[in-house]
Amino acid sequence: MPTTDRQLTDVDRVVLTRVMDLIIPSTGDFPGAGGLGLAERLERASMRYGRLRSGLLTVLDAMSLDIASRIEGGFAALDEERQIAAIASVESDLPIQFSEFVELVYETYYTDSRVYEHIGWADRPPQPEGFDLKPWDPTILEKIRNREPFWREVS
Amino acid sequence: MNETSTSDQEEQTVIAPQIATEGQLASDVADILIVGAGASGAAVAWRLTQAGFSVVCLEQGRWFNPGFYPTTKQNWEILGRHEWNWDPNKRGNPEDYPVNDSESDITPLMFAAVGGSTIHWTAHTPRFHPSDFRVKTLDGVADDWPLTYDDLDPYYDMNDMMMGCSGINGDPAVPPRSPRPMPPIPLGEDGEHMAAAFDRLGWHWWPSDNYVNSVPYKGRDACNYCGPVGFGCTRKAKSSTDVNYWPEAIRLGAVIKTHARVSEITIGTDGRATGANYLDRAGNIHHQAARSVVMAGNGIGTPRLLLMSKSDAHPDGLLNSSGLVGKNLMFHPYAMTTGFIPDLSETWKGPMGNILMSQEFYETDPRRDFVRGYAYQLNRGSGPLFTALGGAHQPVKWGAGHHEDFAERFGHAITLAGIGEDLPEEHNTVTLDEQLTDSSGLPAPKINYTLSENSHRMMDHSIKSATTVLQEAGATRIMANPLLRGGGWHLMGTARMGDDPERSVVDKWCQAHDADNVFIVDGSVFVTAGAVNPTPTLQAIALRAADYIAHERDDLKG
Repeated sequence: MPTTDRQLTDVDRVVLTRVMDLIIPSTGDFPGAGGLGLAERLERASMRYGRLRSGLLTVLDAMSLDIASRIEGGFAALDEERQIAAIASVESDLPIQFSEFVELVYETYYTDSRVYEHIGWADRPPQPEGFDLKPWDPTILEKIRNREPFWREVS
Repeated sequence: MNETSTSDQEEQTVIAPQIATEGQLASDVADILIVGAGASGAAVAWRLTQAGFSVVCLEQGRWFNPGFYPTTKQNWEILGRHEWNWDPNKRGNPEDYPVNDSESDITPLMFAAVGGSTIHWTAHTPRFHPSDFRVKTLDGVADDWPLTYDDLDPYYDMNDMMMGCSGINGDPAVPPRSPRPMPPIPLGEDGEHMAAAFDRLGWHWWPSDNYVNSVPYKGRDACNYCGPVGFGCTRKAKSSTDVNYWPEAIRLGAVIKTHARVSEITIGTDGRATGANYLDRAGNIHHQAARSVVMAGNGIGTPRLLLMSKSDAHPDGLLNSSGLVGKNLMFHPYAMTTGFIPDLSETWKGPMGNILMSQEFYETDPRRDFVRGYAYQLNRGSGPLFTALGGAHQPVKWGAGHHEDFAERFGHAITLAGIGEDLPEEHNTVTLDEQLTDSSGLPAPKINYTLSENSHRMMDHSIKSATTVLQEAGATRIMANPLLRGGGWHLMGTARMGDDPERSVVDKWCQAHDADNVFIVDGSVFVTAGAVNPTPTLQAIALRAADYIAHERDDLKG
């Protein structure tokens, strides 16, 4: 579990990587969030936003306490089915903090260049390039233009 | 890896050099002191400097350099969720004030800066209907306004020219009007797809009016359809008052003092305003003397400041002899119905906020179980992170099925945002919180707001009808949120206008009943809310009030 100065231990980082892989699993040949090596980046990102940091630490605390009471070796020693059940248990017990934790995992995963490429999203900010739209076509108004005015007149 | 550079915050604080005004000297006694540099304050400043008044504006925020808005950053979605969040409680900039919204069904959104919330709005700019000003007469609810659509019509036009409106005439849902200065924003593949669905149902739709340039306009670029207009526009294609009204007003002599947080409107022995006390960034107190004060701090900020400005002449807060300051708070409730349409694959392309609008259900219909009505705004999908986090809906599921859920949503989402007319109720209030304060130690506002049963029924109806449209458009999955809690963009009604001083705070010219040299020009003065975005209406009201001052209140000119 996290030490009192609220830094993650090596064991925490192992657990975090595994949990991230279960939150966003691998798909085909493409690794999950943990397998992409995003745990370190997630940890750094959490330092920037206190609310998300709190969610991360609370969830890791809860996971450690929950698992430690059940099995020697903790979370890492569980099989996948039980790991998922343990995560679901934390989600049920601490819905707000778990939601903040998932938010942090998503923020880390869905802003990664490799993920962008995998899902077909251009790896660039919206500006300055923008996008193209098909030009305005006034003929599309043909039907609606013929509708009688129906706004409500007032005297 | 796409992380924020360490210079982001520094870049965001760069002051636009050509119009930097912090520290600029103002005349000792201003003719007009404006509190708040957002949508309405800017309009008044421009109109009154044109008329020869000396104008000073106190703004608690700062100038932002459009070149450094988040959309130029690789991590723009993360910035949009944190440093540029629409909710001041989540953003937490020192110039923001926090809002206690723990007892509100809707959380208020706002932005403290020169330009105010027009920095982060999506610039959807329909007008009220004539019926919106006569709801008591027509439907027996709330109150009529002391002015009419026709009174505002020339000011709507004036504002459309200044802000820059893209759109097209011929809409059968609204009265005939003068042409917009620019053609409409293209609908795009997704917009045309949805328009065809409305057509097949025989339901109304029309291209949205937007204060977004469809072509270059007044020295500002045309939109390049980047998508997330809600985080500022680097091209200045989306209109905000820091790039249109304010540069003109400053050229004519207006002065803005930034980082100037007003703590009190000061009152003379005659009960009239003498100016305002304000705090600078270092916490030093200053006084700006003025012959007249124009309140433009939005529907929460203005009642907050009035309630903070107690005096012997105004023991319950300034302008509050009616007891209505801070009461009748209205938001527009939003019901969000999102369809995922396999035939569409890139719904992130184009301005996110407003493709087209439907006013099929705008007017009262006695066959329905609610009075008044609602409109639809069609919103596009968004980037990967916002998609994963769900937007107005539940996030993409974690674990097994995650990628399938994401793929079903990403690029395929179209949202029908049902925006309903919220009727005024006195128990919906802005008061001063007893504990919470801003970074200067001033009381934060507290919101008590409960959505009415009428509005709930209206929003339920909007979900059913939106579902019909989305199914017609080929949606294979539909998600609905009957009330978007984080949707309090529109803040109205908390110092309403009227002819009767016992039932209103200002008159039809926005002049306070209790002090003839104080005016309120923001959404606070709305009697009812309509079912469209309020900014063109509140700016038209502000311009009309400015013309009243210019023509009828020469005594306020030094």
